[in-house]
Amino acid sequence: MSDPVTLELREHFATVEQQRGTADTGMWLFLMTELMMFGGLFVAYTVYRFNHPQAFAEGSASMDIMLGSINSAILLTSSLTMGFAELSAKLGRQRLLGILLLVTILIGLAFLGIKFTEYYEHYQQHEAPGVWFNRTGPHAPAVQMFFVFYFIMTGLHAVHMIIGIFLILGLISRNMIGSFSSAYNTPVSVVGLYWHFVDIVWIFLYAIFYLPGLHK
Amino acid sequence: MSGPTWKTYLFAYFGLLALLLVNTLIAFLNLGGFGTVIEIGLATIMACLVAGILMHGFYQMRLVQIIIAGGVIWFLIMMSLTLNDYFTRGWLPFHEG
Repeated sequence: MSDPVTLELREHFATVEQQRGTADTGMWLFLMTELMMFGGLFVAYTVYRFNHPQAFAEGSASMDIMLGSINSAILLTSSLTMGFAELSAKLGRQRLLGILLLVTILIGLAFLGIKFTEYYEHYQQHEAPGVWFNRTGPHAPAVQMFFVFYFIMTGLHAVHMIIGIFLILGLISRNMIGSFSSAYNTPVSVVGLYWHFVDIVWIFLYAIFYLPGLHK
Repeated sequence: MSGPTWKTYLFAYFGLLALLLVNTLIAFLNLGGFGTVIEIGLATIMACLVAGILMHGFYQMRLVQIIIAGGVIWFLIMMSLTLNDYFTRGWLPFHEG
């Protein structure tokens, strides 16, 4: 199974291009279902923000813009290393591929570390929704809704990150037994698609949760 | 199938970082509701850069590009119809019976 020559072209495909195209198409179709899932949450967020603009601005003002911005830059950097990993795989540079995949995981873990630090800060400031939430003021119930969206959407994003890290770990183990070559590297590019998509989701999460609180 | 080069990736990366910085700085300005439009607009440009270059959307075969366009269009339909419903509630008086 791990021989790149046999994996290069499976028997039910006519050409390598067709095989790669099929894998890409399948992954993009999956990502479009992901778009619908996150999209539904974005729509729900928009409706609530439209109805409670002051409360959502108040909630957003509680975000740590510094940590959010650093995390955004970190995630973009992980996308760059993942892209470089894909290029390395295409060039058949397996050692470089392994290093870049490892770096991508480490950057991803750094992102999650900062994210969970933020969660803990919100918990300490009684901003975690539910029995932990303890804020007063005329907008308190709607501010809690802001944090409901924040925890659900960024939490779902973090779950995707964790899944992505495990997928990359799988790539590293396959790379160590020599599964990839310049002729066969489809799994690397398919996992790369997933990783970059998670990046796109964060770009919008950053825009809707961190930036509104900065408006003067 | 051709794809992006090391240089292209770096170009996209620094472009994304620059857009992130611009988006964050603009958020400090008092632009009212227009600020949100700019923020989402810049985020959309960033998403296009990621999808087009890092995800090879610009280099994919036509079928994949149609799938991407289809997904985005369906998302926009879902969003616009749902928001149209919520945003227009209460515009007209409701008479029971």
